[in-house]
Amino acid sequence: MNQTDRPIANPIVVLREEFDDWAVLFNPDTADAVGTNPVGVAVWKRMDGKRSLDDIVSEIKKSFEDTPDSALKEIAAFVNTLAENGFAGLELERKIADA
Amino acid sequence: MRAPRSLTLEITARCNLRCRYCYFFSNPAVEYRDLPTDEWLQFFDELGSLGVMKVTLAGGEPFIREDLSVLLAGIVRNRMRFSFLSNGVLIDDEIAAFIAGTGRCEYIQVSVDGSCAEVHDACRGQGSFEGAIRGIRTLQRHRIGVGVRVTINRKNVHDLENIAHFLLDEMGLSDFGTNSAGYMGTCCINADDVMLNIEERKEAMATLLRLTVKYAGRISSEAGPLTDVRMWRRMEEARAEGKPAFHNGGRLTGCGCTGNKIAVRTDGAIVPCNMLAHVELGRINHDSLAEIWLNSTVLNQLRNRHTIPLAGFEFCAGCSYIPYCTGNCPGLAYTITGQIDHPSPDACLRRFLEEGGTIA
Ligand code: SF4
Ligand code: SF4
Repeated sequence: MNQTDRPIANPIVVLREEFDDWAVLFNPDTADAVGTNPVGVAVWKRMDGKRSLDDIVSEIKKSFEDTPDSALKEIAAFVNTLAENGFAGLELERKIADA
Repeated sequence: MRAPRSLTLEITARCNLRCRYCYFFSNPAVEYRDLPTDEWLQFFDELGSLGVMKVTLAGGEPFIREDLSVLLAGIVRNRMRFSFLSNGVLIDDEIAAFIAGTGRCEYIQVSVDGSCAEVHDACRGQGSFEGAIRGIRTLQRHRIGVGVRVTINRKNVHDLENIAHFLLDEMGLSDFGTNSAGYMGTCCINADDVMLNIEERKEAMATLLRLTVKYAGRISSEAGPLTDVRMWRRMEEARAEGKPAFHNGGRLTGCGCTGNKIAVRTDGAIVPCNMLAHVELGRINHDSLAEIWLNSTVLNQLRNRHTIPLAGFEFCAGCSYIPYCTGNCPGLAYTITGQIDHPSPDACLRRFLEEGGTIA
């Protein structure tokens, strides 16, 4: 089973939306929490295992004005951090085949 | 914040003990009845949808509920963590194994008020010490975090050294917390018997300060003699040296809790805090928690309490501690003075000194 480049949110993680579209991601199994800005929230909501990182970035560019070209790097770093901390993973090939 | 981060839920009005300083019982505002399982489960679904992170289960004695594992499963299903406030006596292997298996328990706070049965049972009833220690041992066997809370009162104030030795050296706990019997609930009825007088408060403060040196970092407090003496020493030092006002000084800033948590009474009333149990904001499963959280006039008044200057109270007239004082807990202010928007006389340094207290 190979990993795809399609990030998928850990379903146990809670997205706590706060004011002004900022949010906290909270993993109740580990008690880890990270704060995130509106772009992070938008990325999180698109991490469904169906969209690739590139898909997510292009959607974000459309929804947020003034998204800089460095957005791909930043979003990739954000997704990596989430993955390292157990908040997200990469979808597996088989699941897509099953779908 | 669109919804509270955490809630304290009094899931039962029943208790196997009748402690002489229990804040929970003997409150005329409270209807002492248990809600059925389904009501709590429905409410947990609402909490889950709001992204609440944690609930603290209290009572009464939460372990008395026969459906506790069903309630915990509802909390886990809704992606929350939980903790307990308990007397420890009813904790057995079966429920401890269940709790450990969830992986979601932050800690279980068990009250231990003496180094031996004679002292502990004086206020909590015969057999309660043995039961509490058995409960703690059970939790330790199942590797569940235990937080011990010592409520300092007239019966155990002379036993504090032994209590620290017993909990930290003999039982091997990493730390414990302290508070003291406060003028609330059943304690109001037994106040003369259980609440510390000035001399005893002085003794508790001196002993605790000594013990915090001996057991560095292992004795904590959020209220009670240790908190008071630490705060009061800072206030006295600032006053003597003419330091600028503390950032939260001079106004009723003593309670910041309404910014991130809320509570539910055993009868389903939503209240700002268990210490303000008479302030009904709504009912679970009838009123929207999010709506109350954002728009309740009463809750917002409490949140704005920090704008009320101490200098406006006759109680504080002429006090040189005003720039450094926060007025402390509104719950105690209410039970003592009948007003929420008032400094708590219990935490008033000037009054303590006038009555013969010392903090040197
Ligand atoms: S009178 Fe008491 S409550 Fe008022 S400011 Fe002075 S110390 Fe604080
Ligand atoms: S009212 Fe008192 S006990 Fe309640 S949350 Fe505020 S400070 Fe804490």
